[in-house]
Amino acid sequence: MSVIEYDVIVIGAGVAGLTAGTLLAGQGLNVALVTAGEPTACLSTGCVDVCSQNENPLQGIANLPDLHPFHLVSSETILQALTDFQQVMTDMNIPYTGTLEKNRQVISAIGTFKTTCLTPLTMESSPQSIDEKIQIVTFTGLKDFYPSYIISRLQNASFSTYDARVSTTMGIAAKFEDDAFLEAFISWLENLNISADKIAVPAVLGLESATAIMKRIASRLKRPVFEIPTIPPSMPGRRLFNALKDHFRSKGGVIYWGWPVVGVEKAGRLIEAVTAESRGRPNSLNARAFVLATGSFVGGGLHAERDTIVEPVFGLPVHVPSQREGWFDQDYFSANHGIGQAGIMVDTSFRAVGCPWDNIFVCGAILAHTEALKNGCGHGFAMTTGHAAARSCLEYLQ
Amino acid sequence: MKYEHCIRCTICVENCPVFRVNPEFPGPKQSGPDAQRFRSDGKKSVDDWVLLCSQCKRCEMACPCGVEPAQIILRAQQKYGLEHPHTAAHLLFANNYYLSTLGSMTAPLANRVAATKIGKKIFQRLGIATYIPFPKFSFKTLRQEKKTRNREVRKVAFFYGCFINFYRPDIGRKIIQILQSLRIDVVLPSQWCCGLPALGNGNLALARSFAAKNVASLSNYIDAGYDVVYTCTSCGLCLLHDYQGIMEIPGAKKIAENSYNVHEYVLKLIAEQEIKPAFKEVNRTLAYHIPCHLRALEIGYPAANLLRLIPSLQCRILDDACCGLNGSYGFKKINEATALQLGGRAVSLIKKTGAEAIVADCGSCRMQLSGLSGMEAFDPAEIIYESLGIKV
Repeated sequence: MSVIEYDVIVIGAGVAGLTAGTLLAGQGLNVALVTAGEPTACLSTGCVDVCSQNENPLQGIANLPDLHPFHLVSSETILQALTDFQQVMTDMNIPYTGTLEKNRQVISAIGTFKTTCLTPLTMESSPQSIDEKIQIVTFTGLKDFYPSYIISRLQNASFSTYDARVSTTMGIAAKFEDDAFLEAFISWLENLNISADKIAVPAVLGLESATAIMKRIASRLKRPVFEIPTIPPSMPGRRLFNALKDHFRSKGGVIYWGWPVVGVEKAGRLIEAVTAESRGRPNSLNARAFVLATGSFVGGGLHAERDTIVEPVFGLPVHVPSQREGWFDQDYFSANHGIGQAGIMVDTSFRAVGCPWDNIFVCGAILAHTEALKNGCGHGFAMTTGHAAARSCLEYLQ
Repeated sequence: MKYEHCIRCTICVENCPVFRVNPEFPGPKQSGPDAQRFRSDGKKSVDDWVLLCSQCKRCEMACPCGVEPAQIILRAQQKYGLEHPHTAAHLLFANNYYLSTLGSMTAPLANRVAATKIGKKIFQRLGIATYIPFPKFSFKTLRQEKKTRNREVRKVAFFYGCFINFYRPDIGRKIIQILQSLRIDVVLPSQWCCGLPALGNGNLALARSFAAKNVASLSNYIDAGYDVVYTCTSCGLCLLHDYQGIMEIPGAKKIAENSYNVHEYVLKLIAEQEIKPAFKEVNRTLAYHIPCHLRALEIGYPAANLLRLIPSLQCRILDDACCGLNGSYGFKKINEATALQLGGRAVSLIKKTGAEAIVADCGSCRMQLSGLSGMEAFDPAEIIYESLGIKV
């Protein structure tokens, strides 16, 4: 058995896990992050939702139900987490815009408005009302992007189609990284003699250099250009993930991919190691503390069985909202599915309530009563609780 | 092979290097779990695009649901290979071990011919790409190395693999010297091609015959108290995963349980406080290109952990880009454009770091990246060797 010793092991590579890991590694601790696969953050729009229930996110948080885990952190912590994030993203060349004082609107691929707090700079100019004059550009054969839907909702929008010779978001994004392609695209745009105030494109403006590509088109066309997030594969989600991951590494963090935790070693009130079943032999990683950030159901942090819900890594006690009959609302698209409340309940130190071990800290979408969809508590919630759990973990280790 | 577990989230598609640049390839989701439900044993394969998959396994590393798209595609490739005649390039690369044996025996001549215009023409006729030079055969292979035994407590059987043996035995010798300097006995067991090139070229039967011979040979050493170490990450993947998996070789489990990446092995001995290597300063700024198959081994990046122990070494890890060569994949004419575009991206990410040289565990990654960038590319063992200041 291979045995390696770390100060902290973070389980889960999403926004919460990477935020916690980076903070701990930045304090000089030896941190490893293990993950079964890639996080759902890659599938996201890249936008940072804090709380979408109110025009002012902080006010929205204040109005959340008493049991909501956002109430475990102070507004200073939230501000700190978001400010740190914006600084990091600026350093990593994918700057984010927005403030904690006021939510913003981002237009979606079907023309609806999505409320969020921070957006990538490439979405900064997304319209805030339905009457802005917008020219949408789509690409021949691109699936899952619907300019005619958008036009049906925005009064002063129209669209044109560019043939990129490939028809997937990934493929088009790869082409945009090529200078000759970008130049040809810009010339084509110039020949359109656009009269609209803004230009919209699906979020395919490259993977590594999106901000620069957006700025170059905007300066040549002399008007704002913005991206409209697509359904997965989602370039802005991947850019966000790549930047957080690179930043974690730059602080000395180590990542183990394809490393689903299948066993833990315990001694009294402590977890001593986690084990993964690699195909050769089990691999064990020892640490003094553990951060659990495995996400909710889609991320694999929670697993629903017929009548119960389990947390598969440590078997922590899970808050199950009710009998199974109460897990789902009659309306499929409802935001009030009871199962949204399922998860791990934690105290102010971000230790699970009723957990027999002292060195596990829990953060992110796995927390009970988050109801991410209903409350619009997305990446902003993940980075805030990641931040808070890391601070608590740090205090414990010192 | 759990295609029913796929939730269609497309994370695998986001991670597929081939899908990024080749519109002919429908991506791991569609050619893996999606198409699987339409494949049946009785019916002839019609999905020739499965051959465009490079088997980098990035989809498997990304999947949060434990579906193994690359594995599903690999099996579809074998099925396709059984039902269709193989191209010259597929046949040649599947039998790379025998060709390389011949190439090494006639190295002075073979290398000269391969570098000529006529040589390149012949390659192209056979459907082999020539955008980077074919690696040079080494006349003296590692296999011919004299055996030395010091009766140390730790003893390892070194599975060096074809690339080291036929093209870069010098790196193999350095690895042996590193291990010996750490008081580890090294023997070179009888060994054949690991079988991966045959598997990658749709020739499961040939792959299995190589594998069975290796299992028999390595098994004897394990019984005699040896651990197996490998350096080539693709050989390692084959030994640990494919022998037990698609090849179903009896006794493969024992090999998997007792085989270590060479750097993983050194780290393990350090962690167990058996050895304390004295790393000396190395003043280099390196970009560590992580080979796809090192990721797929699920052992983390052991060489990177070792390099971190070397004073004043600057090493940036890059694991987002596939180099595009994928062993024999990029050498096939039909994949040349894909390989070139992927290589170009990997090189541009490396250049952005400002590194002065590349480090990568995989010989084919090094070949591709140094060929396309003009930069020097090292095996991590070469840097460790330098740091340990071994005098022979």
